[in-house]
Amino acid sequence: MDTMRCAADTPAPLGAAKDGASESAMLKDKIKVLKKLYPHARSVLLPALYAAQQLYGWLSEDALEEVSRLTGVSPAEVKGVVTFYSLFKTRPLGRNVIYLCTNVACLIMGADTLEDFLHNTYSLSNGETTADGRFSLVIMECIGACDKAPAMLVNDDCHFNISMDNIREILDNYK
Amino acid sequence: MVKLTINEQEVEAGRDSTILEAAKSVGIIIPTLCHTKGLEAYGGCRMCLVQIERVPRLQTACTTKVNEGMVVFTETEEINKARRAVLEFLLINHPLDCPVCDKAGECLLQDHVARYGASEGRFAEGKRVHPENVNDPFIVRNMQRCILCARCTRMCGEAQGAYAISVTGRGAHSFVEPFSGDRYNCEYCGNCLTVCPVGAIMSRLHRHSYRPWYVEKEVETVCGFCGVGCTTFLQMRAATIIRTLPKLGTGVNKGLLCVRGRFGYDYVESEGRLKTPMIRVNGVLEPVSWEKALAYITTRLKDIAKRHSPKAIAAIASGMCSNEDNYMLQKLMRFVIGSNNIDSTARLSYAPAKTYIEKIFGTAATANNISDIEKSDGIFTAGGDPTAINPVLGIQIRSAWRRGAKVVVSGQPGGLGNFIDYDLNSVPLHEETVLNTIVIGLAEMKGYTGKNPYIEKKIKALRVPCEPELRATGVLLENMEEAIDDLSRLKNPVVVVGPALLQSGIPSKNLFLVAAIAYLIDARVYLLSKKPNYRGLIDMGCVPDSIPGGLPVRPGQIKLKKGVTLTVPSDKGMNLFEMIEGALDGSLKALYVMGENPVFNLPDREKTEKALKALELLVVQDIFMTETTRHAHVVIPASAWSEKDGTMTNLGGRIQFLRKGAAVSTGRSEWRVIADIAKALGMNETYSDSKEVWEEITQISVLHSASEYEEIKGVGLMWPYGSVQFQGGAEDFEVEGLEILPEVPGRKTSEGCVVPGNKLYLLPERSLFHSGSTTRKSKAILSVSPEPYLAINTVEAGRLGLCNDDTVWVKTARGAAVVTVKIVMDCPEGVVMLSNTFEKVNFNALVGYAVDPVLKCMVLTDNEAHIEKL
Repeated sequence: MDTMRCAADTPAPLGAAKDGASESAMLKDKIKVLKKLYPHARSVLLPALYAAQQLYGWLSEDALEEVSRLTGVSPAEVKGVVTFYSLFKTRPLGRNVIYLCTNVACLIMGADTLEDFLHNTYSLSNGETTADGRFSLVIMECIGACDKAPAMLVNDDCHFNISMDNIREILDNYK
Repeated sequence: MVKLTINEQEVEAGRDSTILEAAKSVGIIIPTLCHTKGLEAYGGCRMCLVQIERVPRLQTACTTKVNEGMVVFTETEEINKARRAVLEFLLINHPLDCPVCDKAGECLLQDHVARYGASEGRFAEGKRVHPENVNDPFIVRNMQRCILCARCTRMCGEAQGAYAISVTGRGAHSFVEPFSGDRYNCEYCGNCLTVCPVGAIMSRLHRHSYRPWYVEKEVETVCGFCGVGCTTFLQMRAATIIRTLPKLGTGVNKGLLCVRGRFGYDYVESEGRLKTPMIRVNGVLEPVSWEKALAYITTRLKDIAKRHSPKAIAAIASGMCSNEDNYMLQKLMRFVIGSNNIDSTARLSYAPAKTYIEKIFGTAATANNISDIEKSDGIFTAGGDPTAINPVLGIQIRSAWRRGAKVVVSGQPGGLGNFIDYDLNSVPLHEETVLNTIVIGLAEMKGYTGKNPYIEKKIKALRVPCEPELRATGVLLENMEEAIDDLSRLKNPVVVVGPALLQSGIPSKNLFLVAAIAYLIDARVYLLSKKPNYRGLIDMGCVPDSIPGGLPVRPGQIKLKKGVTLTVPSDKGMNLFEMIEGALDGSLKALYVMGENPVFNLPDREKTEKALKALELLVVQDIFMTETTRHAHVVIPASAWSEKDGTMTNLGGRIQFLRKGAAVSTGRSEWRVIADIAKALGMNETYSDSKEVWEEITQISVLHSASEYEEIKGVGLMWPYGSVQFQGGAEDFEVEGLEILPEVPGRKTSEGCVVPGNKLYLLPERSLFHSGSTTRKSKAILSVSPEPYLAINTVEAGRLGLCNDDTVWVKTARGAAVVTVKIVMDCPEGVVMLSNTFEKVNFNALVGYAVDPVLKCMVLTDNEAHIEKL
């Protein structure tokens, strides 16, 4: 018996999902499946948030409330978790998000020149999105790839040992 | 037990205790910041670091358990250096704005820095900046001052169960925030205020209005809002309450309060307080002196008793007043005037429910310690949301659930929503079928013990609901079956009964079914009580059929000490409903109303008003002008809850001491005024203080004869109040409609169950924020819940095409009102809800009532509502 109240069975309040009715239904189904895989409501939270981010592209306040309702974790706690992790998008970002690590190992191996490259080539600074919506840049504190520094994530893909020689080539794959 | 050494002192401590607790037990104080009584150890602030021999690094005393032979030092140069560093780190971002911080003077960080801190910091960079948030009506958030000890978020989650705030962000940019990032929109218990060690979360109500050292007097008293009787402390300066505070670990509430108790007290200082007695002259209430008012009352009472009979006089007692007030009113009626006509609004549900339950189980059945609820392994609630009616009792249920107890709720879950295993929320008028099914299921699982043949015989007579009847409830059978299965396995269960159980359907059947559940699983029963002293007033004999102490009225004489003899009148007394009827048919001529507002608190307002208008004399003793004083011939200012000494009995039967803070008004204690009237009518006894009244109570009441006044003044006194002899046994009782089940034709809801007709039922909303005519005078409470609203379910709102904040007409057979709509998740289909709080739009003005023939409680009628969009 799941001990948290199954909020999934209660109807959403009016106006919560106007356009995203189908996404809402998908999220509900997805979280229903996830709930069976984890012992507590709280342990479902991270995968549920990823599911919501995948569906909506980013996590709006409405999305957070929806996840809260579907998992039974309070909205405030959901917000606390979302704001803790850099990989959750709390505002709409570009089609491709570059998560560039500038922590010690990457910095020593030249992450600052990569940052300059992004700024000069795409006018990208931390937290910004290009005018065409192609790229957003998020500067990260260590992505756990110090042995292959400098490293970055583009969307869900990891790229290691990046240099001025190959960064353009890598980014050209993301339209 | 474990032996260890702390600072070269031998200490013995329990195996499970921490170094911090062991040190405290011998008076060694270890400084802490994140540690709080009642919350789990956190180990976050590192203030409590201690040195343990043979352990290489310093350890946190709050999380490290004691061990045999452990050698601990709490004050060494190494520790002090570490503490100095901890504080230096905290002060990197904590602003040194102590001169304008309300917390200064009682700030833990300030105290620790003064004692352990460095004289200056070495951090040269600037402090983080985060704007103070003053947009919330109650709570000011200054996150620059936050030291991230997480006391507030843990209090909010672990203790209160609200989970309304959380640490957001990361690193130096972590701040405690509610979801909105702005207003809290939470339950506003304010328990985060209690625990914040610095000035990060502060009360807005008295922002910059006092300094902690302005407090001249601190008075330990009992909260006057509901039947839980939370211990609270009034901090006074001159005649005003600066603030009310709980103390962690103290009282039945263990230091928790709810929104009403913490913020709602300002009604006592409201401008509308009555200041002088008034007599109606030519239709207008004119101020008069106390002497004149009391002389007027006595002359009129004498006259009415002489011209008609003492039976033509009645009184309404008050659940807001102390035992002494209620006892004295009872004495005036019963022993001085000679009439058994005394009752109160407890008659609507609390008193009949208590009588009925005690008839089934014996006298002690409803006397149970509230703080034991959290230790139980399963709770069944029916008839109302405990977290709104008796919030701190509700928190006990949440807390039990978090410890693994099974919670089964029949009816709307409300604030228990996230703390439920089985939500058996049936559609209107079908709750009976659900309860019936549970009783039959439990009887099958548990069998009969033969302990109480009366109830067993009735359980056996119940009919098993057929499938369509079950489907009509809107509750899945498998859900009920699982609930039955879990309920049957409980070892230490609790049954909580709320007022809604008695207000519709067949009250005696509903109550019997819940009692049967309690009987079959052998549970303790708690009766929710919205007013603080309903139980006390019943014990004080403010019911027509029993004298103080609960013995039935038997004509004859009662001898007290000092040769005092009291005569018990022989006539059958009128209950509240009979008083209204009596006034209408002319058999009742005079009514004394103490601290009650019957016009507002009874449904069918027209009838009550007509009845009061027909009286020759209506005396109302209150702290405000109310709907009832409008019809009064005499109005007497009363003293508010914070202005008098006395005792109160909470819903679990604990007698606690109500202490006077200071008098704001010129009102007098109710009992003193009544004693003056009684003296003028021939009473010989005199009383110099409330203690003397209590002494007389102990002489007349068998229930209280062994009670120790000093104990009541101390921690409070739990039933059976020092005696063992007062144990009534079980009796046979009456149930209506034992074999029938509700059969209500009507339309289908979205889930396939049936709701009667195309209409909606209007039911009372028992709000967390309001408790009737007191909180509507509280500016603080009005700032979060300023106006009435009609609560409606999502599906019904969709059907009627309503959105939040739409204005609608609510029309019933009794009246109509214009009100805004609020869409609420857990309001069942077929129901709309309105609270009975506000002057213009309120529940009782729109419905009627009937009196249940068995329980003599109130049953709502004429509450089918039509909703029309404006």
